[in-house]
Amino acid sequence: MYMTPMMLSSSLVLTLNILLYPLLTALDPTPKKPQWASTHVKTAVSTAFFISLIPLMMFLDQGTESIMINWHWMNTSTFDINISFKFDHYSLIFTPIALFVSWSILEFASWYMHSDPYMNRFFKYLLLFLVAMIVLVTANNMFQLFIGWEGVGIMSFLLIGWWYGRSDANTAALQAVLYNRVGDIGLILSMAWMATNMNSWEIQQIFFLSKDFNMTLPLLGLILAATGKSAQFGLHPWLPSAMEGPTPVSALLHSSTMVVAGIFLLIRLHPLMENNQLALTTCLCLGALTTLFTATCALTQNDIKKIVAFSTSSQLGLMMVTIGLNQPQLAFLHICTHAFFKAMLFLCSGSIIHSLNDEQDIRKMGGLHKLMPFTSSCLTIGSLALTGTPFLAGFFSKDAIIEALNTSHLNAWALALTLIATSFTAVYSFRVVFFVTMGTPRFLPLSPINENNPAVINPIKRLAWGSIIAGLIITSNFLPLKSPVMTMPFMLKLAALFVSIIGLLSAMELAAMTSKQFKTTPTLPLHNFSNMLGFFPSTIHRLMPKLNLTLGQLMATQLLDQSWLEKSGPKGIASMQIKMSTHASDPQQGMIKTYLTIFLLTSTLAILLMLL
Amino acid sequence: MAARALSKSGRFDKVYKLVIGSRSASGVSKGSLPGPYPQTPEERAAAAKKYNLRLEDYQPYPDDGKGYGDYPMLPNRSQQERDPWYSWDHPDLRRNWGESMHWDFDMYTRNRVDTSPSPVDWSTMSKTLLGYLGFMLLMFGLGEVFPMYQPVMPKQYPYNDLYLERGGDPEKQPKPVKHYEI
Repeated sequence: MYMTPMMLSSSLVLTLNILLYPLLTALDPTPKKPQWASTHVKTAVSTAFFISLIPLMMFLDQGTESIMINWHWMNTSTFDINISFKFDHYSLIFTPIALFVSWSILEFASWYMHSDPYMNRFFKYLLLFLVAMIVLVTANNMFQLFIGWEGVGIMSFLLIGWWYGRSDANTAALQAVLYNRVGDIGLILSMAWMATNMNSWEIQQIFFLSKDFNMTLPLLGLILAATGKSAQFGLHPWLPSAMEGPTPVSALLHSSTMVVAGIFLLIRLHPLMENNQLALTTCLCLGALTTLFTATCALTQNDIKKIVAFSTSSQLGLMMVTIGLNQPQLAFLHICTHAFFKAMLFLCSGSIIHSLNDEQDIRKMGGLHKLMPFTSSCLTIGSLALTGTPFLAGFFSKDAIIEALNTSHLNAWALALTLIATSFTAVYSFRVVFFVTMGTPRFLPLSPINENNPAVINPIKRLAWGSIIAGLIITSNFLPLKSPVMTMPFMLKLAALFVSIIGLLSAMELAAMTSKQFKTTPTLPLHNFSNMLGFFPSTIHRLMPKLNLTLGQLMATQLLDQSWLEKSGPKGIASMQIKMSTHASDPQQGMIKTYLTIFLLTSTLAILLMLL
Repeated sequence: MAARALSKSGRFDKVYKLVIGSRSASGVSKGSLPGPYPQTPEERAAAAKKYNLRLEDYQPYPDDGKGYGDYPMLPNRSQQERDPWYSWDHPDLRRNWGESMHWDFDMYTRNRVDTSPSPVDWSTMSKTLLGYLGFMLLMFGLGEVFPMYQPVMPKQYPYNDLYLERGGDPEKQPKPVKHYEI
């Protein structure tokens, strides 16, 4: 009996079961101890992380991947739906990373949410989200992927609206669910197309049969799904609004795991897209537009969580660009490295916010590098990794992506936008670090700011280590599936570093102006554009619901009632009769003599013609 | 019907009266339901009183067969515009008890359409956004026409321009194809 596949499959199933165990015990009606969240949930996630390292090591050593079909769930005579797990390169690397990040976030959340009366429920929701995410990532058929997809969407709704007494949180949760639903239309379209044309939802069969079909329609559906879930331009406003949720939610869902689900879908189904130029161009242009637009919006925000949210959206746009370049593995690498430093940025923000007594405005922070040295240094490390500083985690993925961009035959404007967005990344990252950590404090010294609690420091420390070495570890151990371009001109090679340094220098120049007193200058329209998020929410969120709801109201009350009760019955018949009778009686002018004369004339003419 | 059946036995007369009474006490009374369009000033005054509005504020919808009746046409303002610091009876809805509700109140709740004034006016916002989108689409189109990295010469393949792989006849001698020399 071969040990490796058995160990692989059993350790992965064990991982899932360890994660499910606290959820199943939570069905028990006896109330849990307050430490249930820490003792049961966090321990489950950390244990699951360590166990999921076993298959990862096996994959590193021997390159084993496996597909497990566990249960024939539903069958018709021609169509099967099974529970099947695919443990390949992508899910074997993503699962330990997701579990590691979740472990750190759960430990942090035990400090952040300790005064919340429903902390156990919060942890239960986070764990349920994690299970749904792993189901999505390990799915080998579209149905299971859809289960995970919807699961993460619903948990996102519940967690964003955690403080449901706050109307803005409810609005944000509603926004998240509605925008995700629009994306789900695309996913369901693709699933329906695949079910009817290929008669299967298993990924292997879809890949095999895709060579015979024109896959443009399902691919556009999948791109729509990714647009919704991964907050690409057009369906992006829910992501900054999702910052209404608690910071652990933002760190777990809206930076590392849930928002990458859309990109992950495209990575998983990439073989369908390889040869379809329309789909690739759409991904490229959409991603480039997203990354620039959201980076522009991030430049003038004042809420620290919103800036990090927009930076997440910008990085998601970059991942979409990578998919458009036919480089799914680079996109996946960026997902993995991004998870570390983005989660760390959110945890540092959470630590800062809590220490300043729930102050989220960066204009009211400052001087924290003396008061919270560890947190501010980790914030700096995270920001450096985000901008792609050489040899930190972000460098290996981001620089590789920009090199691939520079050496590809692609849309020149997409390239330009992505480079500009990279420089903007440096600008807003520096802005955050400058306003938060540098200068003098701009808040009242009321709360005792300290970093003594290990529940805060240890997670951030772990993620800091991840942000520094994860890129190196992953790239050293996993061969690239597509060979990168090895030779390129010197300027192209340094392009990413160059634009980031330009961005950093301009940001430093602008920041140096903040300590000098200038005459009051009028607000520039560009600042308005950036601060009001490109006017997108202000226009679309007022126009579309109004149009749809008024249309619905009019249809329900006036159109239907009037049509069926009035126009198709009494009033309709009456109006038709009146119209007909007016038309018929109009010619009747009452000129009898004229009519008789004409009658006589025409009848005489007819008789003459007949005689002739 | 059950009450009537019970009441036939006589002993349950009180139950019948209780049930009948409680049935009629549920729901709105006849005078407070919306009615037809007010034609006379007295009807207008009565309608304004019914809707808890002053006579000066009361403005019904125009009578053009759309079915509004005497329901007041309140200004199209979202709940978000109302003062967040005033002590409303329902603070989450920003509404007092007995206030007449807007016809489209479900659209104007705080979770939906917001009509609060924006720093930039509507026409500027929509023109800027559409202009930005149009500009981006135009530039993407131009970028497709003029892509980056245009090769200066056609690609040159080895093995006689891949003669055999492209299905050439193995017997015949292939023509040499050379675009550039390395």
